[in-house]
Formats: sequence, C-alpha cells, structure tokens
Amino acid sequence: MRESDPVILDPTAEQSPLRRHLSPRTNPLRGPIGLVDIAKPRGDVFLDELEGLLRLRAPRESILRLRKPTFTKPAPPSLRDEITQRCRVVIQALAD
Amino acid sequence: MSAIPLQGDAAPAFVLRTLGGGKAGVSARGGGGATLLFFFKHDCPTCDFVAPLVGELCRRLAEAGLQGVAVSQSDSAASASFAAKHALEVPVALDEDLSASEAYAFDAVPCLVLVSGEGRVLRAFQGFGRDDFLALAGDAAKSCGRAVPPLERAAEPWPENRPGCASRVHDPEVAERLAVRRAAGRLSARRVPIPPADDPFEFFAALGIDDGLPVVPPTEARVLRMLQGTTRSPSEVVALVPPNLVPATVEKIAINAVMAGCRPEYLRVVIAALEAACTDEFNLHGVLATTYFPTPVIVVNGPVRREIGLQCAGNVFGQGFRANATIGRAVQLVVRNLGGGRPGEVDMATLGQPGKFTCCIGENEEQSPWPPLHVERGFRREQSTVTLFAGEAPRAILDQASRSARSLATSVGLCLESVAHPKLHGYGEVLLVVCPEHCRTLEADGWSKADLRRRIQEVTSRPLAACLPDDDCAEGLPPQALPRELLGPDGQLKPETLGIPVPKFRRDEDILIVVAGAAAGKFSAVLGGWVGGKMGSVAVTREIGT
Repeated sequence: MRESDPVILDPTAEQSPLRRHLSPRTNPLRGPIGLVDIAKPRGDVFLDELEGLLRLRAPRESILRLRKPTFTKPAPPSLRDEITQRCRVVIQALAD
Repeated sequence: MSAIPLQGDAAPAFVLRTLGGGKAGVSARGGGGATLLFFFKHDCPTCDFVAPLVGELCRRLAEAGLQGVAVSQSDSAASASFAAKHALEVPVALDEDLSASEAYAFDAVPCLVLVSGEGRVLRAFQGFGRDDFLALAGDAAKSCGRAVPPLERAAEPWPENRPGCASRVHDPEVAERLAVRRAAGRLSARRVPIPPADDPFEFFAALGIDDGLPVVPPTEARVLRMLQGTTRSPSEVVALVPPNLVPATVEKIAINAVMAGCRPEYLRVVIAALEAACTDEFNLHGVLATTYFPTPVIVVNGPVRREIGLQCAGNVFGQGFRANATIGRAVQLVVRNLGGGRPGEVDMATLGQPGKFTCCIGENEEQSPWPPLHVERGFRREQSTVTLFAGEAPRAILDQASRSARSLATSVGLCLESVAHPKLHGYGEVLLVVCPEHCRTLEADGWSKADLRRRIQEVTSRPLAACLPDDDCAEGLPPQALPRELLGPDGQLKPETLGIPVPKFRRDEDILIVVAGAAAGKFSAVLGGWVGGKMGSVAVTREIGT
C-alpha cells in the first residue's frame, strides 16, 4: 500500500467529539450546595470566602464542605457518590 | 511458506471469468469428471514449457471426461497472447484478484492440481518434475478409465526437474493487499477515508491526531504488519488509558505505533510501557494534568535493547535513533488519541518540555559496574523490562576534575540539591543518569550505588532552618507539611528541631540510578521528578512480554 491509499484506521477512542455543556443553572439557587476543595494549597481560604457569600445570599440553603484526598488524582468513587447523593449543586474550587 | 493441497484434501472451490466470456473453476459440490488446473503466468519460461504438455494431456483425455482449466495470474491481454502462443484449447480463467492462487497456496508457477470428480485433490505439484508430471498423467488417465497416453517424445526428453517462477501472490504489493483481505474482520477499528483531494498529512493535522509532527498514515496493511510484533490478540485490552480511562486494545496501540513510526519489533515495548504507565502508582492522570514538567520517561533494560537496536550509548536522550524516538512517541500518541490527554485540555503544563514528544532510553548495562536498574528492582538480568519514571528534562552534572569517587559523588550531590528548588528537601524520586567515564571513577574506588546514594544524602543534608521559607526566599518546606512531632503545641516548630539535618531525598532509594551515554565525556545528568510517593507518581517497572 502507498501513502496515497485513501483509508486509515482510527487511532482514537471512537467517541463522538465530546462537547462539554454546562449543566442547567439553578435560579433561584437551591441546595444542598456542595463546596469541594480539591486539596490545593489555599483552596480552603477561597471556599471560606465563597461560603460566607452564599450564606448571605441564600441563607436558607444548606452547605456541605467536601475535600478530595489529593489534587493529583481524580476524586475517589466514594467522594463522587457522596456528592451525587447529598448535593443538588456543586462548586469545585481551585486555588494555587 | 507453501501449503499446497495434499492428496485427499478438499480442493478449494472457485469460479473465475474466462477469456472467452464464460466461467470456469472448481465446484464446491463436485460432480462430473476430473479437472486439471494449470496455474501460470505469461512471463514464466517453465509455464511455457509445461503449457503444451498440459494441452496435449487434456486433448487426449477430453473425450474421456477430463476437463482442463488454465488459471492465469496475468492480465487478460497477456493471458490471451500466452493461450494463442501455445494454442491452448482449454478455457483460460483470469485470476484477477489472485483469490484462487491464494486458496491453493503454492509458491511457484506452474502449479498443476488434479481434482477428482468428487472435489478431492488427486495430485498437486509446482514447478516441473518429470516424475511428478508422469504420475499426474497416470492419475488423470486412471480417473477417466483410460490408459496413460504417450506424451514424452524420445527426441525431446524432458528435464528431470525445472524450477518455476514465484507466484504473483508473493509480489510485495500483492502480498500486502492479500494480507489485508485475509485479515478482514480481524481489525475492528473504524475505517476513516481520507478525502481524495486532501494531503494525508494535512488531514491528520486537521483531525488533531498528531503531536505536531507528521505521522505515518495507519493503513490496514501497516497495522497488520505492526501486529506481527506481538503474540497478543488485537482485541486484548492492555490498559485503561487516562485521563478518559479508555480501554487500549493491542490493535489501537498498534495503530498509534504505526503513526509514531515504530517497527513491529518495538510494539511489545510500547505495550509494556503503557501497562506500567496506566497503573495507579504511576498515576498518569496526574502526570499529564499537572502544570509542572513531568512526562513518562521510559528506561529499557535487558536483552530487548540489543534485539531492537535501542540506543544506550552516545546521545541517548537525543535524536537519530528510531527505536528510542518512536517508542516514546507511540506512548505519547496513545495517551493523546486514546486517553484524550491533549495540551490545553487535560494537559495543563505551564511550560512542558521536549520529552513530551518522546523520551525513551536504554541502560548501558555493558558499561556499568553495578547491577542494572531492573535487577535492583527485582528482575533477572536476562529479563527485558521497562521502567517508567515521571521525569523532567535531563539537566547536566558537570565534573571533569574529580579523580576520586568521594569527590565525584560530592559534585553529584551538590548538583542534585538544586532539583526543583535548593530549599525543597525531603524530595521524592529522581533519575540519576551516570555516564560511563564517571562510572569508571566510582568503580576505581570500589563504590557501589548504595555508597553513591549515601554520599548524595550526606552532601545535601541541611539544617531544617535552612530549608524553611524566610524573608529572603518565601519558597521552602512549609512548617505545616512537616511531621507533627517537630511542632510544638502552638503549631510552630520546636526550637530544638531547627538544627536537624534534612537530606535532599526522603529515602536513599528515591535516587534511581542508571548508566547511559557514550564512553567519552565526564557529564552525567539528573531528571527531577514530580510529586513523589502515594500522593503523586512512583516509578513502575514491568516485564516486556511477547
């Protein structure tokens, strides 16, 4: 076969192009709201500020604080399950 | 290898178009009289010699029910010319796609096959042998209930043997096409047509399946050739490739290995490297996603280095060595194309480094006075392995003056202290690449790897106070990251701890040592790591399979 041959084999995972759409926004904001710290330094400082703002603007909604064991690895299945079961809205914060 | 049918085998059935516009072949159901197949190509002198003999035999036994079919591997014009030259009366069937020739699996033409009325092979041979032909004529006559007709003339005795010419199925381009046809269904990857007006290289770039350099188009023929480099099934899943945790089959790895420019014998090294990279300990997801510098650095040990021509000596991290260049590149392409790890998406490297194109070296075991890396890590010397290390780019360790092991090891330690940041002690793994000339200096004083590691730890030890952030330099070991026993009730370091010596590396064995490079030059190298230990990436060694 020469390079001019018109067919190649797909080197990819053969998934349709993934377009990540944002989840529908909740308006008004309804909890429980999960604030996930990915365990980067000072992520907690940022989330503390955010939690304060949320408590002012949505005082009736419950807020949960969650934390990944390490920022270097994906969230473990147990944490993903907890987020799915306990949170209606999730905010994940990155600080560095 | 010839696998020409044997006496008693079922004759493969086929039907071909003939020069006269009809059809001829061998029926799967059998029936009728015996059939004599004469496979030929027009430019074969032995075919020229045999054609009249076949014609004569068929003519004499035609009335008794023998059917002759001349099966041509040549095009119709050349076949017609051949038939006319020899006044062939038997139908001339055109084996245009060589499917009949392939089914009868002979290596040379002419090939004569006598098939019984029941569809069984009575006799078959290739080339010309006097005894073979006479025996075939005898079988043909017997199958028709006749005596053997006289064929050989005393005035023109036949040669005992006369070799034929190679069957066209062995022409390189034809063989490849036939291999693809045979393998139909063996490969399951989606076929992607390249628009005829497109340059393939521009097309790949537009699809985003390259690494910024041109890739080799992964045609079916090339992928099938690549798969010959392993005994594993194309459908076998080798690993789940981060970040998308996509199953990497041997076939998909082979496709990317073709694109990277690998030879088939490299494939099993690529497979082993991916097995190692896709472990939880190596943590490829984190290695890929970090803003820091690491890339999978592949160190190959054992006999496979010589078998595939992997460079272990001069310019080992550099250009010019196909095995080194393409094995590392194949791993990177798999991560990109299968795992979905692309720069700017999951790969968030701030600067990156050239090793993210490819980084694969062999240990120069022959120049080393020490057990090689894989032996230190629990394998036998005769086993072939890959060790994956999440490393930065190599940086120089210059020492042209030391003539004693202690002096040289001190130099190495001083250079290693600057990995990542001089104040960052308690560091995880690094890869120290010792050049052969430095090895000689260490060997002359009888130093082992353990001695070298110990001296590096001594040289780099600093009082804890010197490693802490201060007004002059805010970087350093943050107190909150230190062991709790060093802290007082107020959360501050106890004063008596400030003088504790802290070596650069957490453990001596975090200094991975390999020997590589040219015989000349007193230049070693260090490759810094990433976050070490369970929180980051740990070097992983895997045996290379078949």
